[in-house]
Amino acid sequence: MKTIPVEAYFVVSMVLFGLGVIGLIARRNLVTVLMSLELALNAVNVAFVGADAHMGLVEGQIFALFVIALAAAEAAVGLGIIIAIFRYRYVESTDEITDMRG
Amino acid sequence: MVRLIIFLIFSAWAVISGIGVITFTNPIYVILWLLSALIAVAGIFFTAGAELVGALQLLIYAVAIAVFYVFVLTAVPWEKAIKKGTHYRMEGVVSLPLVILLYVEMAIVFLLGITASPEGKFRAFIEKFGNTEVVGSILFTKYFFAFEVVSLVLLIGMIGAVLIGRKESQTYENDTR
Repeated sequence: MKTIPVEAYFVVSMVLFGLGVIGLIARRNLVTVLMSLELALNAVNVAFVGADAHMGLVEGQIFALFVIALAAAEAAVGLGIIIAIFRYRYVESTDEITDMRG
Repeated sequence: MVRLIIFLIFSAWAVISGIGVITFTNPIYVILWLLSALIAVAGIFFTAGAELVGALQLLIYAVAIAVFYVFVLTAVPWEKAIKKGTHYRMEGVVSLPLVILLYVEMAIVFLLGITASPEGKFRAFIEKFGNTEVVGSILFTKYFFAFEVVSLVLLIGMIGAVLIGRKESQTYENDTR
């Protein structure tokens, strides 16, 4: 049952989370920034489920379900904000939104 | 041994898809790479024995949220973003030491945490009843309050998305551009 070591899950989770952080910092498009955030959230889910399978608990899977639900809410609100920004300012790049006016 | 090989295949698939997410410039290609990464993560969940989480990953993430992103990409003009370059080159290079520092920090936390992790007490319970039943029963008994709070958060997020994305009646007419 324990042929996969828990360190393997954590290595995959770390690599995916780092890629998500690089995307959050280095991307210019707002939608792809949100996609990088989804990648980082998935990395957290991998760590949860991996630790869960290692320790024989089910709390990790439950927290992963909560993370999925909160990511759905975050996607709804974030994409609504992006559509609102585009409607009011006609920009969608992160370096053109330099103030919080309006 | 077979499980380890399958896990390595899914892991390599997920990491390659993640690299594709942060390197491609066209947002349509980025959403396809993100979809590939989500499916690979669902495969990792199935390999780890979390069937319910893997199935919900496929259903909610890889179908619902990805389709939502595709819908929003049709609403924003991404030709302009492609034309002026979609990466911050300087910040991308500067962020690499930050990410390596983050890796070191996470490695320290993981190594310290693994040495202190207790033995599993639900293992026999899971093998007796199956994964989905155990997850559901604990979700609806021990974490029932958190489950209800998550449902409330989803409701508030839905209302907030509708309110934010609503078309205002000429309120910001002088404020645009």
